Amino acid sequence: MRFISPRLIPVAALATCLATATVGCSSSGSTTAAGAAQSPGGQAKGTITWYANQFGPTTTDVRKTLIAAFEKANPGITVNLEQAPSDSDTFRSSLETQIAGGSSSFDVYNGDVVWPAQFGKAGLAQPLDSYFPASYWSRFSPGLVSSLTYQGKVMAVPIFTDNAFLFYRKDLLAKAHLPVPTTWQQLQSEAATLQKDHLVKYGFAAQFDAYEGLTCDWTEFAADAGASSVNPAGTTATIDSPQAVQALDFMRGLITSGVAPSATTTFQEQQSESLFTSGQVAFLRNWTYAYADSNGSGSKVAGEVGITNLPTFAGQSGPGYSVTGGWNLYLNPHSKDIPAAVAFMTWMGGTQAQTIIAEQGGEIPTVASVLHDPTVQAANPAFPIAAKNKLNARPSFVAGYSKVSEAIYTNINAALTGSVSPQSALSAASQQIGSALSNTGL
Amino acid sequence: MAANTLERRAARRGWVFASPALLVVGAVMIFPVIFSVVMSLSNVTVTGNGIGLSGITGANYSVLVHAPRYWHAVEFTVAYTACTVTVETVLGTVIALVLERLQAGRGWMMALMLLPWTLITVVSAELWGYIYNGVYGVLDAITQAFGGQGLNVLGTPASAAVAMGVADIWKTTPFVAIMVLAGLVMLPDDVTEAARVDGAGAWTIFWRIRLPLLRPALAVAVMFRILQAFGLFDLPYVLTQGGPGTSTESLALLGYRVLFNDLDFGPGAAVAASTALIVLVVCLAFLKVFRAQVGEQKG
Repeated sequence: MRFISPRLIPVAALATCLATATVGCSSSGSTTAAGAAQSPGGQAKGTITWYANQFGPTTTDVRKTLIAAFEKANPGITVNLEQAPSDSDTFRSSLETQIAGGSSSFDVYNGDVVWPAQFGKAGLAQPLDSYFPASYWSRFSPGLVSSLTYQGKVMAVPIFTDNAFLFYRKDLLAKAHLPVPTTWQQLQSEAATLQKDHLVKYGFAAQFDAYEGLTCDWTEFAADAGASSVNPAGTTATIDSPQAVQALDFMRGLITSGVAPSATTTFQEQQSESLFTSGQVAFLRNWTYAYADSNGSGSKVAGEVGITNLPTFAGQSGPGYSVTGGWNLYLNPHSKDIPAAVAFMTWMGGTQAQTIIAEQGGEIPTVASVLHDPTVQAANPAFPIAAKNKLNARPSFVAGYSKVSEAIYTNINAALTGSVSPQSALSAASQQIGSALSNTGL
Repeated sequence: MAANTLERRAARRGWVFASPALLVVGAVMIFPVIFSVVMSLSNVTVTGNGIGLSGITGANYSVLVHAPRYWHAVEFTVAYTACTVTVETVLGTVIALVLERLQAGRGWMMALMLLPWTLITVVSAELWGYIYNGVYGVLDAITQAFGGQGLNVLGTPASAAVAMGVADIWKTTPFVAIMVLAGLVMLPDDVTEAARVDGAGAWTIFWRIRLPLLRPALAVAVMFRILQAFGLFDLPYVLTQGGPGTSTESLALLGYRVLFNDLDFGPGAAVAASTALIVLVVCLAFLKVFRAQVGEQKG
């Protein structure tokens, strides 16, 4: 091994690091200049790549419909679709390694609604203010743009939003002469009745596995009980409160009473939904797409599924809270054709694209005028209900959100499985959220 | 003199031929290892333009030392490795002994046994996930058919760890068996014969003669298994997500989350580097003990 001097290796390592940094800086500088020179909506030309995961129904690819419509409206621009991983954590890792590595192999990418702060802090997304006129942002539903803003800069164009709903079996409720529940307590007792009458095996299913989805479910239950996880300023943990204990006690009670199967603590969206579509559970908390899925050809309960707002706790004014989910378009800071990328992003936040996403994709459009369009409202029974939803965001505006969320879902999951008490889970979560907010600790 | 020159020339030519491979090894193995160690000792800033390293600091390691989650991952990974590797070694050796005796169908048996080993872990983990599922899982159906309560195997910390261990043992025992079988086949018959002539029973022959002679083969198999078990990632990633809570979070899964979910490259690199250090120490200690015993036998 005397062929390469060992002494040279650290030098080579250092040289590579420096080279990466220098190249990166220069490319970033040039893109800003190019963007400023180009007025938005101008006659941009070129070929861009859209790195996107699949959304909407599985039978047709709505992304391809969107690209075809865009290319027709913008003859100078060609959009290539690059398939992204469907799992959002895997997708994020792939984005991080590619963008931090200086890749310009894609120009625009899909990204989760909880990423703006993390990506903004790490410089993985190009802030959009200098490429879009300020008036552009007023078209979106209230609150959406501010949730995509990090340190005063808009980081992404929202392309569809997602809400949580309560899905229920109309046939079972009719048989037992029960109303659609409006409180969690009512849901629990109705579910128990249905189970006792042997109409259904389980009462309720949700996503209680140790992952991001549990942070969503937790945020809803907590908000219904009047609790939160982080204060509005994003500086301290507020999760260790009597209201939070009440929410967690109730969630655990769903499992101990047998209303929710104990395996709910290992359920993500897919497992909970398949339990519902196979006819084994009466109530399901899930996202918009579950309506189409559970009434589709693969479902044993097609035609029997109702959709409504989530319940709240007795004594609170209804309906219950739904967290906001959804996906956005981000701009790769290394894009070689920012004008064309911006033209595409602009168009995706327009009426035509949003109507396609709503009517063919089955997703809730982000543009307020499209969402309130009567024909769009008629296209999906979830849309009028979504309009009545009380929305609540996860605390994703803090840059350390992924750690905050980990602190929430690992501890809540531990309490739900019964391996720790709700009280000690919440105080552990509180401590970990505190260190995540001050960026100390793992 | 002439022979020496020739040899040297051959050696030089050898280096020339080997150099492309060495360069590749340097680029894909040595450089990343050094880079991640350097990263674990630096202040890391992540930007869209790459990763910036500055200064030398022990802060990343101090974060680990003070994090209960890290120590839990260390404990879990070490305990998991110790348990699964022990069971695999014992089972694998027993299977190898049976296979060695087998006259007919040994090829078939070996092929069959290798099936789990050839499956990609993510795929086999999904299959085990189906078996363990608390609602429509096979295990659940079996216990319910016998009138028992539904089993939520992955729902409690202890049963989830055991379930993962079973999936691991199922997959990797064949590997140990094949390695040990290779060792068994190579054993000289005359020693066993001589022992038998001296009146030793089968039990004595195994414990006193064959097992000591098998040590080198066993050592290699166990080393490979320790290295792999320490890198445990795909099973918890697919089966439990490290849950319930963080009870089945391995060092590799923790490192992945810190690096790629939280973008904490410094502490993430420290998790990776410390894992490598721990496994290195474990392997060296293991080899030392094993060599010493082998030496004793020879002496």
